Amino acid sequence: MRIDRLFIGLGKAVAVCMLLLWSLVPIAFVVISSFKPGREIFAVPPRHIFTPTLEHYAALWSRWGVFFDGLLNSAIITVGATVLAVVASTCAGYIYSRNSSRFLNGSVLFLIVVRLIPPIVITLPLFPIVNFLGINDTHGVLMVLYATFFVSLGTVLMRTFIDQIPRELDEAAQIDGAGRLTILRRVIVPLASPGILAVAVFVVVFAWNEFLFAFIFTGTNAKTAPLVISEMIGSIDGVDWGILFAASTVQLAPVLLFVVFMNRFLVAGLTAGATKG
Amino acid sequence: MKDLRTGLTRRRLLGTAIGGAAAMAAFPSWAQARTLNILSHAVHERVLGTAEGDLLADWKAANDASLSFTTFDSNPLQDRLFREASLPETEYSVGYLIDNRPTSDIAALFEPLGPLNDANPIEDFGDIAPGLIQGMTVDGNLIGIPVRHATQALFYNEALLEEAGISAPPQTLEELVEQANQLTFTSSAGTPVTGMVLASDLAVFPVMFARAFGGDFITHDFQLVPDRAAMEQGLSVLRGLFEAGALPRSYAATRNDDMVTWMQQGRAAFTVLPFARFAQLNNPEQSNFAGRIKAIPFPGSSTLPAGTPMSAVVEAWAMVIPRNATDKELAWSYIREVSSKRVTLGMALNGNGPVRVSSYADPALMQANPVAEIEAGVLANARGAFPPFPEAARAQATMLEEVQLAVLGRKSVTDAVGAIIDRVGPMMPA
Repeated sequence: MRIDRLFIGLGKAVAVCMLLLWSLVPIAFVVISSFKPGREIFAVPPRHIFTPTLEHYAALWSRWGVFFDGLLNSAIITVGATVLAVVASTCAGYIYSRNSSRFLNGSVLFLIVVRLIPPIVITLPLFPIVNFLGINDTHGVLMVLYATFFVSLGTVLMRTFIDQIPRELDEAAQIDGAGRLTILRRVIVPLASPGILAVAVFVVVFAWNEFLFAFIFTGTNAKTAPLVISEMIGSIDGVDWGILFAASTVQLAPVLLFVVFMNRFLVAGLTAGATKG
Repeated sequence: MKDLRTGLTRRRLLGTAIGGAAAMAAFPSWAQARTLNILSHAVHERVLGTAEGDLLADWKAANDASLSFTTFDSNPLQDRLFREASLPETEYSVGYLIDNRPTSDIAALFEPLGPLNDANPIEDFGDIAPGLIQGMTVDGNLIGIPVRHATQALFYNEALLEEAGISAPPQTLEELVEQANQLTFTSSAGTPVTGMVLASDLAVFPVMFARAFGGDFITHDFQLVPDRAAMEQGLSVLRGLFEAGALPRSYAATRNDDMVTWMQQGRAAFTVLPFARFAQLNNPEQSNFAGRIKAIPFPGSSTLPAGTPMSAVVEAWAMVIPRNATDKELAWSYIREVSSKRVTLGMALNGNGPVRVSSYADPALMQANPVAEIEAGVLANARGAFPPFPEAARAQATMLEEVQLAVLGRKSVTDAVGAIIDRVGPMMPA
């Protein structure tokens, strides 16, 4: 029996190690390579001991200034999309949680179905419309698109969270004279904050890294960092891998820190409702 | 409500904001009166120079205009250009187009430039390589003015050749095969060297090997595999190299950028890349063999009749004006200036493949680019990998699928060539 447990434990440990290796090795390679001298990045056999250098970061700064403009655009769009998605999801989740009708129940299914449509199907007909409205290449159009794309999932998540908050609290607030908006602001939002943060994490990660919508709907003013990185990869006069890895590291760092910081809320969000009877 | 610390009221704050905005709007602008929006690759903007090296500084001043480049990588750029040109109106007045894209339908999205050139001609138009002009002439209409080309060369690592006791690079395809086999060894530095590295996802390479025997994939007048025996010979050479280990075991997964890094690391002795990659391959910050990687014309087979020129593959970019552009006059003025002898040479000195024959005769370019003279000779006979047609992308993918099967030994070369003819045939334009 003990031997069985030992083997099972060992198997689990090996599986976790394999998973970690699979996930972390490419990221570690990119980050470490960004500090390697250019000639050593792809050296055969690989050189694990090297003198770290910041030359690629300096070159990124001097030769790809547009990348940092892209980072700023990414940040503005990510914040805007997150605020929009969180506000809309929370309001919608509250309504779905506290009300019930045939229409509402049917529309939940619609929310999930909409989420299954591939983004490219939506982007192609949207392009001429966005141009006609004159909102192409603006931060706003990406904020709205990213938020719209996540409102369905966010709403379902928020409904699950709000379902766990006792209705008696709403009723007590109502007796004290609070309206629906006040109940939402003063009672629901503080108690559902782990869910709000979980939705925010999803939107931030998506908006920060998104490529397709940004490629179709931006040009110069709202160009995001992933678009600039794609130009570095496909440069027709050759890829400078050191600069590319430096840019990838800079792009990765903020969202990685954010996700690590928010990790416990994300886990709470994902397991919301798991034990509800 | 008044802020006790600042004495500021809401009304004052609002009034100041509106007044400030109105003043800014009414204030004379120092910005140029006209902006020309351009869709291009970043390299097209970069070769025009910046600050004191701005090749278009005089043109901007004369036209009171500024340039606004929107840049993408090659394929996304073409996608966006066609999308913009399909709208009722686009703010982009100039786009950069690759020469293997303009089918009749696509060409119809762009302004015919012949009448503009007749009315207000480009300086010494005949000096621009005629083959490149031909590539931008669709249904009798000139739709783009060539601005950059990438012509394929054979690159070799001189240090590895010396180490293997080879005194001169190959003059014929047979010599290339022999040397590639000989150079499949472990170098004195302990690096396993492969004779040749080629990407498997581009039609350029099988086409070059077929042309070395006088064959082709699809000719300019849409003949599919015009010389079957030559195509079979070309693919047999590739198959032989793989079998001998002179192509990487990872051939099926090898991509264009792998070719550069393998050469820079001394992991391969030969490769086929555009001449424009010479600087990158020899960049001391990236390459372990800076200054030792040389370029020569890709050699033809010794079985070709004497004097038969080898046609290397060339890819060219051209400037186009979308039919729905808002400022065609300024767009044509820009194209004329960029196509001038002075700017063409300036861009060449910044690393652009010059489309004018006269640029290659300039001593400054000869000095700056050690392979300029060789490139000029190769360009004279170069042509595109295949002409544009609606099913070109699918035809290329089909051909590459069969080539990979043949090279990896999963199919005989004869069967693979037969399959190329059978499968690509229905995709050809009527």
